[in-house]
Amino acid sequence: MTDFSVAGTQSSPHIHSDWAAGKLYMKGDSYPENSYELFKQVFEWIEEFLAEQNRPLSLQLDLLYLNTSSIKAMMDIFDMLEAAHGEGKSVSVDWFYDQRNERVAEQAEEFKEDCSFPFQIVSHG
Amino acid sequence: MKSTRGALEERIGQALADPSQRGNPLSEPLAELWEAHQDMARRIDRISRISDAYQTEAKRNEMNLAQRLNKQLRQLEKVARISDQYQKIMHDLNLALREASTHDPLTGLPNRRLILDRLREETERFRRYRHPFSIAMLDIDYFKQVNDCWGHEVGDQVLTEVARVLRAELRDQDLCGRWGGEEFLLLLPETPLSAAGVVMDRVRGAVERLHVRVHTDSLAVTVSIGLAEHRIDESYSDTINHADGALLAAKRLGRNRFEQASQKAD
Repeated sequence: MTDFSVAGTQSSPHIHSDWAAGKLYMKGDSYPENSYELFKQVFEWIEEFLAEQNRPLSLQLDLLYLNTSSIKAMMDIFDMLEAAHGEGKSVSVDWFYDQRNERVAEQAEEFKEDCSFPFQIVSHG
Repeated sequence: MKSTRGALEERIGQALADPSQRGNPLSEPLAELWEAHQDMARRIDRISRISDAYQTEAKRNEMNLAQRLNKQLRQLEKVARISDQYQKIMHDLNLALREASTHDPLTGLPNRRLILDRLREETERFRRYRHPFSIAMLDIDYFKQVNDCWGHEVGDQVLTEVARVLRAELRDQDLCGRWGGEEFLLLLPETPLSAAGVVMDRVRGAVERLHVRVHTDSLAVTVSIGLAEHRIDESYSDTINHADGALLAAKRLGRNRFEQASQKAD
């Protein structure tokens, strides 16, 4: 699988994947015109990684504002991870937030609620 | 019922197998009947097995659908909840931004942008209804010396304290904004020059009585004020210029006083 990278814009996050390291990075605001298009490649990459690899997969998130369809997409991603976790695969999420913006951490907590795999909410300054 | 049928089947089986009954004219039709019966029984058995399998499958589908529906409903509720919170965050940020764009962060007073908005409104009201309003320019005397002798931190403290006094002395309908540096603009709606003068004298006196504490020391400041009433056929900038002229006069006449612009058109 080839890695992919999407440059961030004012309304969409910077996304890039690292197949060799088993990591996927997402950073920024997310209220894109077409969130289906944006998240499709993320779904596909994660699906393929989980299907082909037995190595740990980790999502590194530094997301701020998410519109409703982005929230839905993130929940679908976490559902995929939850299913993989149920099959005994090693998956984890690190959600980074700025200490000056505690409310982002509260939002991350909401997402974490239904996840039984390791889900860390980490302040970075 | 089942056991009697079982016993009957056994008896018929035995009768058909009995060699002494081979000549019996009933034995041939009975054998055929027996064959047909067994065929029927096998068929019923097969039909019920298929039917059971269908029912099990249908039941499983139903449970599956119910499970998926419940999951979707839970997800929908959660999406809505998280989305509401993001919207709340955006709304609060908007309010904070609006506040930041219209107020001076040091004193909390309206900044130039908000003052100009209010001046435009007040000028428009004057144009339509001829309600009088006055503008005062207020400047802290020798403020540069405060900064030079005590440092900028104390200078900021003085600005904050003076702002607090101005707000306390003005009436609810009045607007006091930071025009820039140590200069404040006071807008007094529905107030002709004579009434505005009374307010300005009170404001000047209140600042004179103010003592700003710096550690064990106490610092006193005074203000000079220039006052002008808005006149027919002039812009608010003209009125500000008249107030500025009066402020200059107050400075020249020794500070810690207020002067009003002449009411005659120049």
